[in-house]
Amino acid sequence: MTASAITRPGERDRLIVKLAQIDWTFMLVLCLIAATGAAMLYSISGLSWEPWAAKHLIRFGLCVGIMIVLATVDVRLWFMSAYPVYGFGLLLLIAVEIVGDVSLGAQRWLDLGFVRLQPSEIMKIGLVLALARFYHGLSAEAAKFSWRLVVPVVLIALPTLLVAHQPDLGTAVLLVATGGAVMVLAGLSLRVVAALAVTVAAAIPPFVMFVLHDYQRNRILTFLNPEADPSGSGYHILQSKIALGSGGLLGKGYGLGSQSQLNFLPEKHTDFIFATLAEEFGFVGCISVLLLYAAAITIALRIASISHSHFGRLGAAGVTATFALYVMINGAMVMGLAPVVGVPMPLLSFGGTVMLTVMIGFGLVQSVRVHRYSEITSGRGTLL
Amino acid sequence: MSEPSIFFSEVNERQGVFNRRAFLMGGLAGGGILALGGRLAQLQVLEFDRYRLMSTENQFNFRLIPPPRGRILDRFGVELASNRPNFRVLLVRDEINDIDATLDALSQLIPITSERRRQLLREISRSPKLVPVAVAEDLTWEEFSRVNVRTPELPGVTADMGEARVYPHGGAFAHVVGYVAKVSDRDVAAAGLNPDPLLHHPGFRIGKQGVEKALDTVLRGKSGAVKTEVDALGREVRKDPEGDINPVAGKTVVLSLDADVQSRALEVLGEDSGACVVMDVQSGDLICMASAPSFDANQFVRGLTSAEYRALSEYERRPLLDKALSGTYPPGSTFKPMTALAALDSGMVNPNETVVCSGQMWFGNRFFHCWKRGGHGAQNMHEAIKNSCDIYFYQTALKIGPDRIARVAEAFGLGQTFDIGISGQKPGLVPSTAWKRKQYHQPWYPGESLSFGIGQGALSANALQLAVMTARLANGHKALNPRLIKSIGGVETPSGAAAADLPFKPEHMELVRSGMAAVANDTTGTAYRASQLGLGPVLMAGKTGTAQVRVISRAERASGVRSNDSLPWHLRDHALFVAFAPYDAPRYALSIIVQHGGGGAAVAAPKAREIMRVVLLKDAAIRARIESPLPMPEAPVSTTGEVEGEAPPPPSETILPAAAPAVTGGPTQ
Repeated sequence: MTASAITRPGERDRLIVKLAQIDWTFMLVLCLIAATGAAMLYSISGLSWEPWAAKHLIRFGLCVGIMIVLATVDVRLWFMSAYPVYGFGLLLLIAVEIVGDVSLGAQRWLDLGFVRLQPSEIMKIGLVLALARFYHGLSAEAAKFSWRLVVPVVLIALPTLLVAHQPDLGTAVLLVATGGAVMVLAGLSLRVVAALAVTVAAAIPPFVMFVLHDYQRNRILTFLNPEADPSGSGYHILQSKIALGSGGLLGKGYGLGSQSQLNFLPEKHTDFIFATLAEEFGFVGCISVLLLYAAAITIALRIASISHSHFGRLGAAGVTATFALYVMINGAMVMGLAPVVGVPMPLLSFGGTVMLTVMIGFGLVQSVRVHRYSEITSGRGTLL
Repeated sequence: MSEPSIFFSEVNERQGVFNRRAFLMGGLAGGGILALGGRLAQLQVLEFDRYRLMSTENQFNFRLIPPPRGRILDRFGVELASNRPNFRVLLVRDEINDIDATLDALSQLIPITSERRRQLLREISRSPKLVPVAVAEDLTWEEFSRVNVRTPELPGVTADMGEARVYPHGGAFAHVVGYVAKVSDRDVAAAGLNPDPLLHHPGFRIGKQGVEKALDTVLRGKSGAVKTEVDALGREVRKDPEGDINPVAGKTVVLSLDADVQSRALEVLGEDSGACVVMDVQSGDLICMASAPSFDANQFVRGLTSAEYRALSEYERRPLLDKALSGTYPPGSTFKPMTALAALDSGMVNPNETVVCSGQMWFGNRFFHCWKRGGHGAQNMHEAIKNSCDIYFYQTALKIGPDRIARVAEAFGLGQTFDIGISGQKPGLVPSTAWKRKQYHQPWYPGESLSFGIGQGALSANALQLAVMTARLANGHKALNPRLIKSIGGVETPSGAAAADLPFKPEHMELVRSGMAAVANDTTGTAYRASQLGLGPVLMAGKTGTAQVRVISRAERASGVRSNDSLPWHLRDHALFVAFAPYDAPRYALSIIVQHGGGGAAVAAPKAREIMRVVLLKDAAIRARIESPLPMPEAPVSTTGEVEGEAPPPPSETILPAAAPAVTGGPTQ
């Protein structure tokens, strides 16, 4: 941060200055994670760029471009587009509900002809934006606990219910957790949080028993007792744990992970890529990558905290919360601490939509940093 | 805001809350990552050994290679049991997603009937997921290669070339050699806590009877394994020849049997039910041990249908029973040499002393009959054996008492089992006063001695025992033991000739043997016509026996005893014959029992002659003796209806106390 460069009026709007204000350390951390992902994808396809590694890198390159472009977008534009993006996402979710392509047993995709769109991914950004915008106009007192909190609850509930109905339990949990995180960050009374936590804990068993689909229930029951049927539904968890455990301290060596190379590991290129990493690079490799994630989260939260606008703070922190949740849920799943839900390890796993979502989100984070001195004055306490 | 503040605007308060909460969130995220790191440390550092083992188990697969089962040969090296290639298709449940689709695809390539399919599905659901199940066996080469080409598209299906047991002689050795069949749950249970993994191999068959069962572990060998690196679908990725374990073939077992003799015996017995045992008089080797009717052992290898099994098990003549070992019958007149020897040994009977036979004798309060209605007149011992005179032996038995006879019978092998390496022998029974006391808490009644003296009453023996009895008598010195298993894996088993001496005077035994020679070679002997071998100077000696299984009532005896042909099969007499040859220098002893066959001379003796001819002709030394072998004369046809050796009625009518008949009526098999 060069203080002298931004003293003159209008200086901050110059593109070159904006680019200089992008947090390049943050960018480097993200690049390291994505490169590790590419290296693992290269390994599991038998030391070949095809079919995943090359695509992963190309996509990441494109996403970096998008992120840089979004970083230069004025945070006030983000602010104005918050509700439209949310509304667009909601409409797409409803569209999927009506005409959605049934793939993998869940209506998650909307085929637009040129690209198969996953509206739930758009919603992850849209929800954060909408909540940040709403809280931007809300007093600290009201954010603590008031009738106006009905609005964020509805904002969270609508997409969550639609996504859960698809059914995509992983994304639904992610949406609720992200929304909840933003509410807490905005100042929701910790007493209310505690009360909610107790209520949710009490509601989980009946929810699991009566609301979930059979396969979802089985995943949870399997998680609780994976050894009950090691070749059936407990297979994923068990094989993943074998991959992790057999990696040991330093791993089996690059390209030598038998669990992943011989296909014992399920979804080795997407949800279980971390297990591949663990098998080939061991405890040391895993901790290194986890530290990269910790660094990314720390930097993003710092960016959030230096923003002058409440929208910027909550938006950047909300995106970071989503990212952190991805890491936690995927990590816990791969290590046999959580049921198998379709949540990838962001930037490490192969998969375009999630990478795009995360990078768009970090585009907002970078934009918040670039425009940290911008004040947003309009929209105070209103919905529109 | 309850109190107004100059320094903290509302905006600043929101920022303060946010920063605290963001710090909290950062802490939570840090804690979460720390927890993940802890879990990683647990899995990767603390539990590393356990997961490394599981990973290796995943990665490498030891595929079991069943060893070739040891062959079973006869004394000349003829294969009695061997192996043939068996093309089959196996299926592993664990590697198949859709069983029905896989079976559909397979039925395009090989015939699978809907019944077989149902049976298969049942089998698949019953067996553990990782254990292969045989879909089809004994495929032709075309069918096999058709499946083999398609296996890459059919995960979990393998075309496999194994070996199957084959019995080239079909039924001839079904009882002695036995057979192998699919492993049953009981076999697995019997294998104990740590069963040989072979038991679960779909191609593996376990010995179920005879030598196959008794020497199963010897014949089985040791299984080998191929170490391969496999992927999650069980497909071989790489072989690891250094990790291979070669299978060890089962040992070859050589039996003392002669395939030609055994086959001839089965042929001669034909549809009759019975058994024939031939034994080497010098070594104790069993040359033949046949039981008829027999069954095709090969059927058991592939598995019988329930209808086939029912047909075998319900047939009146009991093909599944090994009659040579487990069929015990009253020996009838074939036992008379024992009574004679006991009399000589007792010193109480002079062999030249005569007994007058009038066809019947009064004892107790009833008549005992001789088989010959008019009687034989004055008989000395030699004549009594030759003519099989019942009255002579009634008198003799009465004079010397049962215990002397029992002692001789036991010395000659009756009432006991022999260690011939296979199970299933029934010891039969040699009665004595001690036995009677022990079994019935009653004294021996003299009337029982009469039946005992002519080989009836409670006395029973199997064909093996009668062969041993004859062989010991023919040998004249040694209490020979029978030997069935000649060698295992090239190691000779102890000969049956290494036995104790018989505690009887040679001249006494010679006297009995000459009586038996007369039976076969004196023109008036009971089996003269049926005993002519037609082998020049090589002659046979023998003793006929006809064991009665029913009570002949007084009324029937008065009106004429019914002939066997007019009776239902199960009431007819047992026909027996024991023989040894050559008479002047005994080499082979034989016993034959034809269950419900009729008269010993008419039915059993001609069969014995046929079998003995083959035995003798296969012996080079004996062939040399027969300077010019004559063509086999037609077997003389019995013209008279008279039946030799007919037993008196079992003493059930009047003489014996009520308790005894249950046993003395024993002839009813």
